[in-house]
Amino acid sequence: MTAWPAGEPPSPPALSSCFLELTQHTHSSGCITSAESVLITLQSHTEVLTFLAANAALSRGDAQRRIPVISIAPQSLASLAAALNASAASSSSRKQGVVAEVTSREVLRRVQAFCADVLGFEYVFDTTFARHLVLREHTAEFLERRKASASAKEGGEGESSLPMLASACPGWICYAEKAHPEMLPFISRTKSPQQVMGTLVKSWMGSKWGRTPDGVYHVSVMPCYDKKLEASRKDFYDEVYATRDVDCVITTGELELLMREKGWDLSMPVPGELDGTRCSPSDKEIATQPELPELLQHPGTSSGSYLHSIIEHLKASSETRLTLSVKMIRNGDYEEYTLTGSDGGTVFKGAKCYGFRNLQNIVRKVGRERGVRTGAGAAGRLGGRVGGRRNALRGGGGADEEGRKYDYVEVMACPGGCVNGGGQLKAVGDTGGQERDWKWGDKEWTKRVEETYWGEQNVETRPTKTLEELAERVVEELCGSDVSVRQRMLRTGYRAVESEVVGLAVKW
Amino acid sequence: MNIDLPYTIQPISELPGHEDRAWHVAWNPTKPLLASCSADKTVRIYAYSSTSNEESKSIPTYAFKTLTSIPTGHAKTVRAVAWAPSGETLATASFDSNIGIWECEKVDDMENGENDGSGEWECISTLEGHETECKSVAYSSTGTLLASCSRDKTVWIWEVHPDGEFETISVLMEHSQDVKCVAWHPSEEILASASYDDTIKLYIEDPSDDWFCFSTLSGHTSTVWSLAWSPVFDSSEECTSSTHGSGGPHSHSHATTASYLASASDDTTIRIWKRIAEHKWECVLVLGGHERSVYSVSWCRGVRPAFTEEGTYLGWLASASGDGKVLVWELWDPPSSSAISTPPRHKLIASLSSAHGVHDVNSVVWNPRSGFEDLLATTGDDGCTRVWRITPSS
Repeated sequence: MTAWPAGEPPSPPALSSCFLELTQHTHSSGCITSAESVLITLQSHTEVLTFLAANAALSRGDAQRRIPVISIAPQSLASLAAALNASAASSSSRKQGVVAEVTSREVLRRVQAFCADVLGFEYVFDTTFARHLVLREHTAEFLERRKASASAKEGGEGESSLPMLASACPGWICYAEKAHPEMLPFISRTKSPQQVMGTLVKSWMGSKWGRTPDGVYHVSVMPCYDKKLEASRKDFYDEVYATRDVDCVITTGELELLMREKGWDLSMPVPGELDGTRCSPSDKEIATQPELPELLQHPGTSSGSYLHSIIEHLKASSETRLTLSVKMIRNGDYEEYTLTGSDGGTVFKGAKCYGFRNLQNIVRKVGRERGVRTGAGAAGRLGGRVGGRRNALRGGGGADEEGRKYDYVEVMACPGGCVNGGGQLKAVGDTGGQERDWKWGDKEWTKRVEETYWGEQNVETRPTKTLEELAERVVEELCGSDVSVRQRMLRTGYRAVESEVVGLAVKW
Repeated sequence: MNIDLPYTIQPISELPGHEDRAWHVAWNPTKPLLASCSADKTVRIYAYSSTSNEESKSIPTYAFKTLTSIPTGHAKTVRAVAWAPSGETLATASFDSNIGIWECEKVDDMENGENDGSGEWECISTLEGHETECKSVAYSSTGTLLASCSRDKTVWIWEVHPDGEFETISVLMEHSQDVKCVAWHPSEEILASASYDDTIKLYIEDPSDDWFCFSTLSGHTSTVWSLAWSPVFDSSEECTSSTHGSGGPHSHSHATTASYLASASDDTTIRIWKRIAEHKWECVLVLGGHERSVYSVSWCRGVRPAFTEEGTYLGWLASASGDGKVLVWELWDPPSSSAISTPPRHKLIASLSSAHGVHDVNSVVWNPRSGFEDLLATTGDDGCTRVWRITPSS
């Protein structure tokens, strides 16, 4: 992976991979730092194959032999399913046949069969149960921050804690750490679904299997390249056992490549794929099998429904009836959600904000509203010259409905969110027009992946009592009642990163 | 001095003061003000006045004076300056990666009068987002959009809101290298950018979505430093053309929409790109004459010659180069009967060597104000801003 063409004076490698992934989807051509590019190349589908081959060569009783586990994101399943349906549709239109659409569940079954039978993974999960744990923790964190914010308002001590900004998008985290450290206090400390899945697999399941974290090899399949960077963060490295919660991340595209290389035809059904969610353990699934609920849908957005899960909680826990209103700000990637009480007062104001340009505006808005300085160095000095005039023009800032500050923002770096991640499959087949339009093609395709994501009918979308009980039990077993353990298991932290500006004398 | 050329470039004023190389200069479009910027991190504002005796038709005299030096607070070089069309706001592009937005405080005792720029200049906003050096900044013709570009290879479009608020409308990552210059079409919302990758990109907005690059102009064999759209002529101006030029009411129809783009390059040439369809520009002319990198190009209405030529008058094009020369061309549309890709007729009308002594000339900019179209400002590595007038050779 070359960061820049040979022979050209390099621009400072400050544009992070996320920056490029957002709008370009040309990750590998971008100028990410060399350290990051190494972290990414170390995680590839060939790396997975190399590990599996070496691992399989060890004898069963060898202590070095690790349990290989793979976890796949729901957005990746949707991407694979949409691609299958698109190619089936283009070939069946010639044959006049009607082909039933493949769902994420069928794709999961086929991927499970491939990973278990062909590759030799012992367990194949999706990441939705981990996401369920994340959403619970995320909402709990929001409530903590709201409480802290309220007490700060009454004169108490407390750092600025609202709005809370989503933390699941590694592109956004990486950008904020490099370019907007002033945003870090606002970013949720709850781990992403990938990393909670890592904790679940390595710590919770590992202990059930009688293994320490280093006795398990965990691969995740993600819609996004930057998840590789996330998995490599030192926060997710276990110093005691010298192992990471996620050992290797491959993208949806890399999984598809892996299946093609192994001659696996994902369009072929596998036995029992229509049987519904797994309920009875197979022969392989012995008593120690930690059974996880599968394909949980969280209503809201296909990027994880972080905003909606908070809204749902506030509605459900409110003594009075709250009304939700949604306002589109610029396009579907930037929407405001307001909860209003029966007295007409605003109880909550949140936003969904995807894509780099919308993200810029959120950063400026939050910086302005919360009085934190955006940028660094020169900006501060420039700001120092801002006279009283502009402030006077702005007025006292009455807290009218329009002017209410955000309590929460679901930030994602990619336009369209995670279904449109840089690691997803490219558009397949004819997307409508006579002439394939390079520009609108992608948007249309993202819409299809989004539809596939929500596609499956008759799926229980409300968390059931048993699901909540299981979630509580898992958290209890993982963390006990120790707050510090819970912090380690379910939360993380962020650090400002000095941009590595090349110290060349720049004439121009 | 080239005595064969019909015009000469006469020095009007020399404005020293910058402590390091002077990068760029911008004439205020509505007031008698001029702003220059420098590696010394300051912006200097100059005021000017002219006295012309209408009765005797004598040559006007000009007086330039320094109004103020703004210590911008930018941490590095101020590389470019741009006035909003209203003339009330100045934007600065700095190597510190930020864009500064500046307005002049009104002085109380001229409450009813025009803001003459003599008050305190304040930074009303700072636009952050670029990762590294900003190279150029430009307001759209209506003043509602601002474009900026940077060594980080991106072009940003900002929407201008009241009270110094800005919203990011688009972040365009089309160039593969450092972006040197951005320029808005003089009447339509079309943006052009020029880059170290030797190309020029043109952008428009998809109303249902983001801005996008609809065309890439390739031809230059090295860095494209500067861009200039051909000016808009409107019919009302025809009748009131330059007071001290040779003009007067013309019966000729002038082009109403600008259909040419000029680009200056490190390959020592200037290319002229002609609009041959709504979203299609094609290189129709390559102008030589410089011996080194052409850093700057500016296109204005100029002063239309009295004699008539067939075709439509396109104004004057000026270029400045590392060879120290400033060249001025007069351009005419080819007869309407000719093929669409026929190049404009062009004539070198003036030439000046050693404009800043032995130093590079970094920018050349025409005065856009009516009646001052024959004034030209240049900046050089000597830290000076110089003002010149194009006068007929006698």
